[in-house]
Amino acid sequence: MRPCDLATEQELSEFLKSVERRAFKRSVYHVKDQEAALDIVQDSMMKLAEHYGDKPAGELPMLFQRILSNCTLDWFRRQKTRRALFSTMGDFENADGDGDFDLLENLASPIDSRESESAEDATRRAQIFREIEEEIAALPGRQREAFLMRYWEEMDVAETAAAMGCSQGSVKTHCSRAVHALSKALTAKGISL
Amino acid sequence: MNMSSITAGETLSRSSSGSHPPMSADERFARRIVSRLSEGTQELPHDVVERLRVARTRAVSNRRRPTRQVTTVGNSGGEAMLGLGQVWWNRLGAVIPLVALVAGLLVISVVQDDDRASELADVDSALLADDLPPAAYADPGFAQFLKSDSSAR
Repeated sequence: MRPCDLATEQELSEFLKSVERRAFKRSVYHVKDQEAALDIVQDSMMKLAEHYGDKPAGELPMLFQRILSNCTLDWFRRQKTRRALFSTMGDFENADGDGDFDLLENLASPIDSRESESAEDATRRAQIFREIEEEIAALPGRQREAFLMRYWEEMDVAETAAAMGCSQGSVKTHCSRAVHALSKALTAKGISL
Repeated sequence: MNMSSITAGETLSRSSSGSHPPMSADERFARRIVSRLSEGTQELPHDVVERLRVARTRAVSNRRRPTRQVTTVGNSGGEAMLGLGQVWWNRLGAVIPLVALVAGLLVISVVQDDDRASELADVDSALLADDLPPAAYADPGFAQFLKSDSSAR
């Protein structure tokens, strides 16, 4: 029976490869610090492998989401003990402060890979991506977590509720509010998807 | 520019108009957003991708290995029996040399005790069978006699 098959090393590696980029971006949206996000993802991977590396492959996604959430919470707790927790957009904006440079970097490969795409389209696409990222980062934490788990990680309502430790009704409420907030914010910026 | 036909505003209006199930419209909009996010994650800076790769490799190398017994039980019953038998053979293989060592030491001890007892018995019997009575060896005069006799020779 497939769900009972223990994860092989190859399966574990492929699973981590499939989630690592999304996990990194999610952590960046939460902690607004790229270095911290990398540390959080690294810790999460290590904990999953060390403590649950012998679990069935089907259980890995849920376990990883729980571990990632816990590692993110731990990071916030550590920050709180060091100094008062601030949630301004300052750090995130500073990370984007060299946004012009990032934009050029981001544009470099798409132009190579999509030769038919004009530079204007690529620039516009990158701008929309950044705007979406900013709006997601600006969402309240629980809404953002629910939205990203539910739609980006493609977890169902029950799984998201279990991972977040709340009721399914709360997940639906968080997701709905997140979608409406994003819709409103992006519409205000003249962005249509 | 590659744009979808439904804007965010339209999504909201459709949700509220009730022509589609509200969650369905929300979900479509959400899927478009995460699709853009997924597209963006494919273009992460090289150093970030590399650090993620190193972290993944390190994590996999530190992976918790499934125990042998768990694997055996997870398979068929016959293999489970074989696995248990194998465990018993391994235990016997470790215990048998220890038992042999202890038995050998006991045998050596018993044999040495017997040899020592027989040697003492031979000495005792020789003393008792001799013409000279054993009490003579405790006599100081006889000892002096033996010394003077050997020096005279």
